[in-house]
Order: sequence, then C-alpha cells, then structure tokens
Amino acid sequence: MTVATEEEKQPEKTLAEKETLAKKVALFYRVFSGSVLFGRKGTILWDSWEMWIMQIFITPPAEMAFFFLLAIAVYHDLTQAQFTVIGNAVQSMSFAAVFAVANITSQDKWQGTLQTLIVTPANRMALFIGRAMFQIFMSALITAAAFIYADFVFGINFAHANYLALGIAIVLTSVMMISFGLLISSIGLFMRTAMIVANIFLFLTMLVSGVNFPVQALPLWLQPVGWAIPMTYGVLAARGAIMGASVLSLGTILLKELIDGITVLFVGYFLMKGFERLARKSGRLEEY
Amino acid sequence: MQVVEEPESAKSREEFAIEVRDLRREYVTRSFFGKSSKVTEALAGVTFDVKKGELFGLIGPNGAGKTTTIKILTTLLTPTSGRAFVMGLDVNRQIYEIRKRIGIVFGGERGLYNRVTAVENMKYFSDLYGVDPGISRKRIPELIHLVGLEGRENDKVEKYSRGMKQRLHIAKALVNDPELVFLDEPTIGLDPAGARDIREMIREMEKWGKTILLTTHYMFEADELCRRIAVISKGKIVALDTPSGLKKLVKDISVVELQTYGATESFVEKLKSLNDVIRVVADLDSERQFVKIQTPNAADVLTKVTQVADGVKIIDKSIKEPTLEDAYLRLVEE
Amino acid sequence: MVLSAKNFVADPQFVIPCIIAPFIFTMVSLFFIVSSSSNNVGASALLAAVLGGGLMGVWGTTVYGSANSIGFDRWNGTMEATLAAPSPLIWIVLGRVLWNTFIGVINGFIVLGIGMTWFRVGVGLLNPGLFVLATILTYVSMSSFGLMLSTVYVLSRKGGFIENSMEIPVYIATGTSFAVALLPFYALPISFIIGPTWGIEAIKRAAVGTAYAYGPLLPTGYWTDIAFMLVATLAYFALSFILFQRVETIAKKNGTIEEY
Ligand SMILES: Nc1ncnc2c1ncn2[C@@H]1O[C@H](COP(=O)(O)OP(=O)(O)OP(=O)(O)O)[C@@H](O)[C@H]1O
Ligand SMILES: [Mg+2]
Repeated sequence: MTVATEEEKQPEKTLAEKETLAKKVALFYRVFSGSVLFGRKGTILWDSWEMWIMQIFITPPAEMAFFFLLAIAVYHDLTQAQFTVIGNAVQSMSFAAVFAVANITSQDKWQGTLQTLIVTPANRMALFIGRAMFQIFMSALITAAAFIYADFVFGINFAHANYLALGIAIVLTSVMMISFGLLISSIGLFMRTAMIVANIFLFLTMLVSGVNFPVQALPLWLQPVGWAIPMTYGVLAARGAIMGASVLSLGTILLKELIDGITVLFVGYFLMKGFERLARKSGRLEEY
Repeated sequence: MQVVEEPESAKSREEFAIEVRDLRREYVTRSFFGKSSKVTEALAGVTFDVKKGELFGLIGPNGAGKTTTIKILTTLLTPTSGRAFVMGLDVNRQIYEIRKRIGIVFGGERGLYNRVTAVENMKYFSDLYGVDPGISRKRIPELIHLVGLEGRENDKVEKYSRGMKQRLHIAKALVNDPELVFLDEPTIGLDPAGARDIREMIREMEKWGKTILLTTHYMFEADELCRRIAVISKGKIVALDTPSGLKKLVKDISVVELQTYGATESFVEKLKSLNDVIRVVADLDSERQFVKIQTPNAADVLTKVTQVADGVKIIDKSIKEPTLEDAYLRLVEE
Repeated sequence: MVLSAKNFVADPQFVIPCIIAPFIFTMVSLFFIVSSSSNNVGASALLAAVLGGGLMGVWGTTVYGSANSIGFDRWNGTMEATLAAPSPLIWIVLGRVLWNTFIGVINGFIVLGIGMTWFRVGVGLLNPGLFVLATILTYVSMSSFGLMLSTVYVLSRKGGFIENSMEIPVYIATGTSFAVALLPFYALPISFIIGPTWGIEAIKRAAVGTAYAYGPLLPTGYWTDIAFMLVATLAYFALSFILFQRVETIAKKNGTIEEY
C-alpha cells in the first residue's frame, strides 16, 4: 500500500472543522426528532395495535397472576404473593422498553432497511434513541396499567402510596431500561442471535432484579447481574413508593439507577460503533 | 486495458469521482456450528476510474462482484486490500464525509418502510442526511415528480407495485442531492415500460450532472445508457471501454437470428456442431423460439440452417450486426 | 413434511425463545420452594416444580409452533406450493405441529435437565411405566390442541399474536406449576376442557404421587385423568378436522390462506 497518510487526513479535517458545534447539535436534533416520529409508525411490529392490546391487557396480568398464584401455592401467604405483584408490575415494561427496542435493528434488517440506515451519515445515538422514544411511552403506559391491575385484581394496598414517587420510578425505569434494549439492539447489527438475547432479557429480570424475591437471595455470583440492570433499582423504588416513601428518601436508589442506566447507554453506544465496524468487515449487515 | 495512474495526484482528485486501485475482497463464511469455514474471493484485484459526471456501467454475470464493489464504495463493506476513493475521499477513513455525498439504489422490493407513505420515507431519510427542512420541503415534491409518483405519494408503500417501489428507491436516494449515485440493478424485475421509465430517470440524473455508477444484467440497457462500461467476471475486470469499443471486440463475427416453431435441444445441438459456429443462444421456453448463432461466416451458416431443420419450422431468419451482448458473452465465457 | 419441519427447527433463533420463559419460571419456583422454610422442602415438591418447567417447555413450543405452522409458509412464500400439494392441508399442518411439539418435548427435557442439575433434584419417579405412558399421551394431546389452535391463525393474520399471548395463561390454566384448584372458580371450566391439564396431572401423579390439579374439587385417579384427556383429545381432532375442511375450501377459492 502506498504511504500517503499525511495527505489523506487533510480534507477530512477541514471539512469537519466547518461543522460548528451549533450545527452539530441541530443535526443531532433533526436525526433524533425524525426518528422519534418514525419509531412510532415506521416499523413492522410497532403499529399492529392488536399486539399492543395483548401487551397491555393480557400478558402483564397473566404474568402477575402466575407468580401471585405460585407464591400462594408455595408460601400460603398473601404478603409474599403481593411482593411478587409489585415486582411483576414494574417488570411488565420489559416488552416495550427492552424487547421492542432490542428488535429495532433486527426488524430493519428483516425489511432490508438497515443497510440504508447505516449508509446515512446520521449520528447513531440520535437515530436509535429517537427510534426508541415511542417505546418509553409504551413502557410507562404498560407499567401504569399493570399497577391498576395490582390495585383492583391483586388487592395491593395503595392507601399510603406516594404517587409522585411511583410515577417518577416508573418513568425513570422506562427511560433507563431502553439503554439495555439499545445495547442488545447493537448486537443485531452484527449477529443474528440478537433475537435470542432479546428474548432472554424479556424474562431474565424476573429472576435477577428482585421482582419475585430479593436480589440477596440469589447466589453471590448472580447478584452483580441484578445490580447492573436499572430495573432492579426501579423495583425497589416502586415498592418504597407504594409504602409511602417520598421522592427524596428514594433519592439514592433513583440516583443509582440513573448512573447505572447512563453507563449502560454508553456501553451500548460503543458496542454499536464496534459492531458496525465488525459488520462492515465481515459483510454480515444483511444476514438474518 | 487502460493504464491508470496512482491516485495521489491532486489533479486526479478533481477529475475523478471514483478511483479504485487493485481492490480485493474476501468473504469468510462459517458453517452453522462454526467448525469449517470457506473463503470466497469476491474481488480479485479491481482497478478503474469513473470521471465526474460520467455514467459508468458495471456488468458481469451473477456473483461477479458488482454488488461487492458498490458496497465497498458506499462504505458498507471494508476491502480486504487495495484502495478506493470516492470524490477523492478514502473509503476506509473518510466514511462520514462520503456518506453525506452519495446516494444508493439497491434493486428489488426490500429496503423501504412499507407501513408509511412515500413522502414519509423520503422525509425520514432527509432528516437522517441532515437536509435542511426548508430545502427538503421543496426537494421532495420535485423528486416525486421526477420519478412520476405524483398522486400516489401519500399512499402507504405496502400498496405500491414493484415498479413504484423501485421509483421510490430512486427518489429516496436523491434526497440529499448526492454528487454520486450508485444504482445496483435498478430495473430488475420490472416490465419493459417500467424499465424504460427508469432509464429515462437515469438520463435525467445524468443531465443534472450527477456521476452515476450503474450495474445491470440487461445489455441493451448498458449499451443505451453508459458512456463507459467495465465488464467484470469472477472478481476481475476483463474489459473496460465505451460500448462501441466493446462491440469492436466482436467485429469479426456476425449473428444469424432465427425465429422458429418447434425447436428442441437436439436442434440447438445440431446448430452447434455446424462448421464455423462459435456460440448458440436459444430461448426454448415460449411457443416461438428465438435462436441466435454467432459465426464469422453468416451467409454459409444461414444456408446450412435449413438443412438441419428436420421438422423445425423456421419462421424468420436474418443476419444481424453483433451487439454488446455478443461481446459480453465472449468476454465472460473466455 | 420432514423438510418443512426441518426448516422450522434449523434456526435456533426460533426454538431457543420457547425455553427461556419456562426456564426462568421454573427457576423462580425453585427459589420459592427452597426459601420457604415453613414448607418442609420435600424432594417431591422440587421434582414437581422441574417437571412443571419441562411441561411449560413443551407447551410454549407447541403454542408458538402452531401459531407459526401456517404463517411460516407466508413468510417463505411457499403458501401456494403447500396449497397445491396433493395431501389435505390438515395432514401437512398436523405434521408440522407434531414436529413442533416433539421439539417442545426436547425443550422440556432441557429445562428439566438444567433445573435438576442446578438444584440437584433427584429423579426418583414413583412409577416410571405410567409416567412414560402419560408423557406420550400428553404429547399427542398437546399436538391436537396445537392443531386446533393453528386454525385461529387462518382466521386472521393477527392470530399469531393471540396465540403468542396465550402462552402464560395456558401455563396457569393447565396447572404446570401449581394446582389448578387455586384458580378462581370461573376459570376452572377452561382448565377442565384443556385436555393436557389432565395429562399433566397424570404425569405428576405417576412421578410424585400427589393428586395435584383439582385437589378436593374433583378427586380423580391416574386412569380417570388419562380417560378425560383422551376424550378431550379426540374432540380436538374432530373439531380440527371440521375447521380445516372449511379453511381449505376458502383457501383454495382465494388462492391464499388469508390476505395481507
Ligand atoms: N455476505 C456474503 N458472505 C459470503 N459471500 C458473499 C457475501 N456477499 C457476496 N458473497 C459472494 O461474493 C461473490 C460476489 O458477490 P456479489 O454480490 O458482489 O456479486 P454480483 O456481481 O453483485 O452478482 P449478482 O449479479 O448476482 O447481483 C459471490 O460469489 C457471492 O456468493
Ligand atoms: Mg449484485
């Protein structure tokens, strides 16, 4: 290969310099807002309303009922059973916040649009977070519905509940959980196993995030997995809020969740860049 | 083949939209359990240039490496070795800059968001390319007009016919007003009228001063549209010239064309065994068959054809000048 | 038939999802059992839990597979070929469903195996002979249920969603993990008419001896369970047969099973 490095870098630099910070922000925003709008109606899975009906009205109560009855069968104790109800109410957001977000790249691959996305100069963070925004909304909606079932079907006592704290816990957890979805989504750029990983994550939190029993009951080696997932903090915060804890007293938990979620988001972003490079190298962008 | 200079000179930067030097690409495919792996050499050292504003054709049989070349040039794939420059930018390093300045059309129905309208597709890609909303508001209707989708632009893409999807692909590729457009088999699977419309659009794009790299399996299409054509076979460029230059390669032969009724494989075999026959191309599937015989001695073959007819009805026979297809067949089969 | 079935199994991304939920659910129930000190942790309770996990594994694949046994054709664009095949549609779909359920059985054993090794659950089956018999018959019964279910997909493209969302309700209704007797009374008739509920009870009875599902509500025995299941299974086959005849007539007329 010929040596021409000095010369090569020249045009790149000058062109990049032309883009002022303000322009960059404007670009980021355009990609983001375009993707927000598109995330709602552009992709295959998301606009089939029947599926959302299932995800709001059938799956969450069914999962809550499963663990509620299981706890009753094993413990013969209503308090234990209601412990699982709150956990699973928060967990029900997984479908939207994790599974649906994780499948963004797979879906695009499937309809052949992933290549056309990758070939644009758009900032990946803006693009994929934008596309995931609709799922944050759905995630919070599903979880809110699940808490209504918790109240009316499973008899959770909301008398002392701090609704503001509960709302903040739900929304924050929805936002933070998409970071996991995006992380898995980045795998989809390169590997066809993304769907399997997405499926694992759809249910894994039932085991490791203190949804059905406290994280401390897990074997020691599994506990860090639980603490790495924002939902673990979200479940704790939601339980606290229902018992009447204020936003302030939940501050530490919520802050930990925030830090955890943002860390995961950055890991996901760099994974995405890395996987994009790998995909270009191996020529597997289209495989599914 | 032409002599190419090293791409380093400043002069070449200005003149060429694409410079490719000894480009190689291998694919490694692993079996399901990752035990055995197979290496396919898709590009085995390809070198060519495309001038700015030129409509350049890349033709070759299935698996020749056309799409691989386009993917490398559009930064979707990294070369195993060799160098490639697009608008003077290195495909390995200046990915972001290149992406802003090119457009791609992949043939076929996939690659569009089916659940939304044409305009919404185009609007989204405008956003992704960072096109100013003021500009895209004006440009999108213009492009819709160019590809003749007026009146249907607010229908969902899933209701589109294949031809309409292909038009939308083209319009979408132009949302960022690219200097260079890659068209990978843009007329694949279209009816003759639809394909003709697409060719009109390509000509229009050429008039706008865009550089175009086109691949196609239709020889008349390449002949009609392209200023220069590279014939690629098994990952190597086997010829690069103007269409008439390529046709000169088969100056020594002419083509006997037959229209027959009741032709069979054995008739074709008999034709092949005639003296001076180089190649016979026959389409036996329809009720009437078209048979083309390449030969340096057309008059002689023409008379002998009737002798071997043996029950096959010859409806029409004529002698034609060789076409690009004849040149192509000779190039890729040798 | 084997070929089309092979297409379905070849790809792990379609099979693995079917064992994840059963696996996690089983793990959670094992954690529950181990941590409930009030309950004397009996080997039989653990065995019943992993067996339940295995059965969920079979169920999940059956439900998922039947949802896709027809949708699969559309995905691959082989719908016309399937319709044009000389054998009636019901046999083709039955072949697929049987195969899916069989994969489900393998799934079930995987879940079972993992659960057993993790929690060191013993394999002391009370009555191995009856256990095997009940397992085979439950396999047939689940397939017949899957066959019937696959016609839902025919009625609507969205049938797939309906079937996928049935996964967990079916785990609950058929008493895979806990006694059906815990369900509210209005849900009981549903479990009564699902044949495999009886099979699952028979399996557990043969494995650990406890009469599980209905408890005091319906004191049945192993053979009564089997008899109930057989009746339900025959009914499913009969119903499927009628449904498929209708479907096929409509499909042949329209050239496709349903519109996009
Ligand atoms: N992702 C991939 N993995 C493995 N091999 C590949 C991959 N993509 C292409 N190939 C192989 O590389 C070679 C060149 O393929 P390419 O798609 O570039 O051909 P093409 O000229 O575009 O053919 P066509 O006319 O059929 O579109 C072929 O042998 C093909 O099988
Ligand atoms: Mg190609």
